Order: sequence, then structure tokens, then C-alpha cells
Amino acid sequence: MSAADPEFTEETMSEQRRSPAAPAHSEITRRRFIQGTGLVGVTAFLTACGTSGTGTATSSPAATPGASGEPSVAPTDAAPQSPSAGLNFANWPLYIDTDDEDETKHKTLEDFTAMYGTVVEYSEVINDNEEFFGTIRPALQGGQDSGWDLVVLTDWMAARLIRLGWVETFDLANMPNKVANLQDVYKGVDFDPTDDHHAPWQSGMTGLGYDSAVTGDLSSLEALWTDDPRWTGKVTFLTEMRDTIGLTLLKLGKDPSQATEADADEAVAEIQTALDAGIIRAFTGNEYAEDMVAGNVVLAMAWSGDVIAKQAEKETLVWQLPDEGAMLWTDNMLIPKGAQNKYTAELFIDFVYDPAIAAQIAAWVNYVTPVKGAQEVLAAEDPDLAESPLIFPSDEVLSKVKIFKSLTEEEETYFNDEFSVVTGN
Amino acid sequence: MGVRRWIVRLTPYLLLAPGMLWLFVFYVYPSVQMFISSFWSGTLETGFTFSFDNWTTYSDALERYQPQFLRSLVYGGAATIVCFLIAYPLAYTIAFRGGRYKNLLLFLVIAPFFTSFLLRTQSWKIILGDDGILFGPLKDLGFLPPEFRVLATPAAVVAGIAYNFLPFMTLPIYVSLEKIDVRLVEAAKDLYAGPWRPGGTIAGAVLGGLVGAVLGGALSYPILPLAVAGAILGLVIGTFLISESFLRVVLPLSLPGVFAGSLLTFIPAMGDFVNAELLGGSPQTRMIGNVIQSRFLDNNDYPTAAALSFILMAAILAMVAIYARILGTEELTSAR
Repeated sequence: MSAADPEFTEETMSEQRRSPAAPAHSEITRRRFIQGTGLVGVTAFLTACGTSGTGTATSSPAATPGASGEPSVAPTDAAPQSPSAGLNFANWPLYIDTDDEDETKHKTLEDFTAMYGTVVEYSEVINDNEEFFGTIRPALQGGQDSGWDLVVLTDWMAARLIRLGWVETFDLANMPNKVANLQDVYKGVDFDPTDDHHAPWQSGMTGLGYDSAVTGDLSSLEALWTDDPRWTGKVTFLTEMRDTIGLTLLKLGKDPSQATEADADEAVAEIQTALDAGIIRAFTGNEYAEDMVAGNVVLAMAWSGDVIAKQAEKETLVWQLPDEGAMLWTDNMLIPKGAQNKYTAELFIDFVYDPAIAAQIAAWVNYVTPVKGAQEVLAAEDPDLAESPLIFPSDEVLSKVKIFKSLTEEEETYFNDEFSVVTGN
Repeated sequence: MGVRRWIVRLTPYLLLAPGMLWLFVFYVYPSVQMFISSFWSGTLETGFTFSFDNWTTYSDALERYQPQFLRSLVYGGAATIVCFLIAYPLAYTIAFRGGRYKNLLLFLVIAPFFTSFLLRTQSWKIILGDDGILFGPLKDLGFLPPEFRVLATPAAVVAGIAYNFLPFMTLPIYVSLEKIDVRLVEAAKDLYAGPWRPGGTIAGAVLGGLVGAVLGGALSYPILPLAVAGAILGLVIGTFLISESFLRVVLPLSLPGVFAGSLLTFIPAMGDFVNAELLGGSPQTRMIGNVIQSRFLDNNDYPTAAALSFILMAAILAMVAIYARILGTEELTSAR
């Protein structure tokens, strides 16, 4: 009964985002490359984003003081109640509806501009929760504006920011849609019982991905631990601790939403057996999707949207909700403390909680939308998509998914350390 | 005239200044910074505090990541051997048989550098794919068992490193071979330097066998068959290709190039993490560079990452010192 479980702290891939038209091939490359060589480049890029964000004051009905690079005016109190000229929005790659012809165009953002006159400076700069946290930490720690008005981070990271007091409290009076349309299952999570510090963006599931042409139909997580000539050495697990430990606990018949340190030990030992048996080929971020298309990997711990996206290239790929259950994670919109355009960010959050807009985004990204009414909107436009259990999981599906326990910092260190023993980190 | 003297005195320092400044900003300063952070304790969330009591980070890191250190040493060494085996004949051919195509051939050696290093490594992944263009047909024809794979094994990582660093081995060897006066070889021949038999046969077989065994061990392939194959190959090469004039003139004169090339290959190879990441990915192929990378960027464990970096640096310095002792750097520094 974890979908209704208030502990909404499952994590997602801190690796890459997955999405339909989203070829995964460049993921690791881009990420590692940036990490390995280009801190300077990243900074330059961020600076560039920041600058261009402040230069677009023309279309605003009322250019606000906070909008254009002026010294921060304690935004919480003095936030002017009119939309600003710009909004700096940091999100994961390929995580919003994108024009087929021009990937810099996003209809949802254009619709927002049409309605409020605010130009959204949309930057796909988040590749990894920890990594992004590292970029905003110095500013937030020093009590300064991070440069972003809106960021999207996975539950556990959202929980951390809220715990640290580094996010703004929403003025719920500005967001009637969000209040009315947030699915009940997302309400009252333990890290934000009042639902006024975070707003879910999308959710997704971690389960079994396989190439049915090679493996046949599978439905049990046991397969990941079965030495079978069809897939031994062609199986990948995820580098994301919460996904891999979570699925392993499910396989062991344990509940990841109640994971203890002893459970972590047991899960790690279990993973080690698959490693020793030579079943596991590698631990990956979302490169496994590309490897599944190439035939190097035929069975994997997989993210729902990834596999759906890759079906276009290889029809025999299947994403399966395992008999034992799957992991559910959610990414959330947050307004970092000291954001220049808090009010506009609130307007934006409310805007994407309009069922029509939510349907528009969900139809493209193929992930679970947290917005009530989106299914009905989509049913009118694209009945097939509205039936997709991956965008609108049924109650039956939801009863089988688990959200990873909300770990304290100490527990998190313990879990990460244990996990890194098997992954060789 | 006093001014003039001062200028003369200062000139060397002025000439050194840009380099020293560069080194200071991009090497000394980060090193100090890293040294300090290796004595931190704490987390990103709570902040870090400095204390020399945290020296245990070093011993803990060394103990915990011993396998990865060892693996880096083995992979780096194996890649350097592979590079040498490929680069020496290549450089020799270009230097002595290149003729008017010399420049073109040299260009071809460095041509891959015009393409992104990541792109090239990524394309290895396609070539080495389990059912890719290389192994797919071989499996279909029954030459290889269906479960055979190279990706995500040590062989893939070592092959990737060897490929990526090949020019660093080739060019120094080429330069030292190019400088050799051909008349020395002629003189050796006049002095009755002929085929090297049976010395070459024996030395070739022994060396070939050793190299085969070492590579087999490093890549976790069966050692005996590889040693035998290496011995046979070495025997043939030693018997028919190695002459006494090569042994006594060309080889010794090219040693400075071999020395420089092997350092230029081994040092970065040992710290490499991209090949292990892209072509490996398995916990059994992770090198110390991967650990440092993920400690720094994924786990935000700066103290351990910094400590590991220093241990790696120290280990490489020590090994280079020993190597220089054995092979001798006078050849390099005496500027003949």
C-alpha cells in the first residue's frame, strides 16, 4: 500500500532522464564528459543561461524589479504580484514536450508566455541530483540567490533541500490548480506534510526491462538472479542505489519503504551473488537502453519511460511490472530560497497543473502525471495514450509499487556505502 | 650597464614566468587545495571541517580500494605493452621504410586525434558489440561460442586504452628512430653483424612467451595458450626479423623514445576512467580513476577522492622513479 504511503522519498535515476523521442546514446557521454573535463564549461554555460535570462524584458506587461539582474530584493516579502519578464527554469533533459522539428521549442512554455508574457528560460542542466545540488549549494548555503527560479529534483533530494530550509514556501493562494488537481496519493508526504514546498512534476517506475525475442516473457525479478544462458552476462543493474537496492528488497520479499540497515546488508549480499555468478554485466545509468537496442543487454533493471522510448527502435523490448512489485519515484518542482521570481514560479507551477497542459506534457514524456483530469483531456485527443498504464497507472498497478524509504542522512550514508561495495565505487 | 646586467640576469626568470604561473595556477594551487580537502571530514550537507586527525582517510581509502589500484596498475601496464608491440614496428617502418610517404604516414598516426576521443571510444563499443559487426559474423559461422563477449571485460578496457594512447607511444619512438644515422647500421653490417641466430630465436621465444603470459594474466584469459602463442610468434620474429645490427645499434639508440613513450602512455593510462566507464562498466573492470571520479562527483566524498588522488600520484611517481633508475634517464637528459 505504498502508493498512498506518505513516505514519498523514492529516488529516481540521478543519471539521465528518459523520454520518448529521447535517444539515450549521448547520456553518459555528455555527462561524463562534462564532469571529467568541463567544470569551466559548465560554469560558462550556466553563466550564459543566467545572462540570457535577464535580457528578455520586452514582452512583460510589467517588468518587475526582481527580473532584470538588479540586486536581490528579499523576494519572499517584497515579491511583486505581477508576472516577471523571465523565469529561470532548470530541468532534466528531454523532460518536457518538445517540438519534433525544433528542439528548442516547447509548446507548454510558449503557452505560458502567451498567457502571462513571461519568457521561460528553460535549461536542461540537471543530469544528476547530487551533481546539480553541488552547483547550487554554495549560493544557497551563503543565503544567496541560486540563479534559478524553479528546479526539478527527485524526492529524496527535494527532501534534503526542504530539510535544509533552502526552498521557498509556496503561497498556495496563487496556485488554485495545484491545490485542486494534485492526485491524492501525492499529498501529505513526510518531507512536506503541508504540500507547500514542493510540487510533483512527473513520476516513473523502475521494473524489469527485457528483449522478449531473446528472453521470452518474464514477470519475476527472480530472472535477474537466474543463471540462464540466454541472458547471463547480458544483464544490467542500475547505479542508482534506491532503484537497485529497492528492487532487490522486493525480490527478497521485503518492503523498500521500510528498509533497515540490516536490509541493506542483505540486499547487497544478494546483489553480490548475481555478480559472482557472472549474471550481471554492468551497473549503468540509462545507457542500458542503448545497449538493449544494440543487443548487448537483454535483461535489465529499467525505467519505464526509457524502454517505451526504445520500442521505436526495437519492437521486442518490453517493460514489465514485476510480480514482486516495482519502485516508484517522483521528481518535484521546487523554488530555491531567494529566487528572484518566486511569484512567477508559482504561476508556472499552477499552470502545469492545468489538466490540458499536464496532458500535453505527459503525452510527450511518457511518465506518470500527478495531475487529476489529465487523463480525461488526453482521452479526448488520443484514447490509446490515455489508456497507457505507464502514464496513468491503474489502482492495481499502484498497489504494487513501492516508494523507497525516506532515509536520514546517516542512513543514506550507510546505504550508499554498502551499495558502493558491490558497484566498486 | 647596471640595467643591462639586471636584464640579462632576469631573462631566464622572465622566460620561465609564463610556465611557472601556469603550473602554479593549474597545478600547485589545486594540489594544495586537494591536499587540504583530503584532511576534511563531514558531508556536503553539513559542511566540512579540517583536521590532521583525518589522515585515516588515506589508510582507509588505500585498504578499501586496493583492488582498483591494482587493476589500474595491471591495465595500465598491459595497455603500455600492447602499445609498445604495435607502435615499435609501426614507428620503425615509418622511419626507415616510409620514404616519401613518411609525412603522410605520420599524419595518419595522429589523424584519429581530429575526432573526439569520446566518439572514438563509443565507436569501439559498436565494433565490439556482442552481436556487432566483428563478433556477430564470427558467432554465426561458429568460430566463437554464442556467449563470447569482449565488452565489459578487461580486454575491452585495455584495448580501448591502448588504442587511445597509441600515438603517444608511436611518436617518441619514431623521433628517436628517425635520428639514427643509417651509416651506423651499415658499419655494423660491415663488421659482420648478421642474422641473430640462435640468440634471436631463443630470446624471441622466451620474451614472446612472457608477454603472452603477462597479457593473459592481466586480461583474465587462459595463460598457457596465450603464452604458447606468444612464444611461437616471438620465435618467428626473433629468428627472421631481428638482426644483430638491430639489436646492437638501432634498439639501444631508440631506447630514449621507448622510455618517453612508455611514460606518456602508462601515466595517463593508469589514471584513465573513460575507457573503463564506456567499454567496461562492470564492477570487475573499474579502475581507480572511476572511483575517484564517482567519489568526487556522484558521492560528493571529497576527502576520499582527494586522498585517492594523492595516493595515485605518489604511486606513479614511485614507479616512474624506479623505471627511470632501471632504464636510465641520462639517455634522455644528456641531449645527444
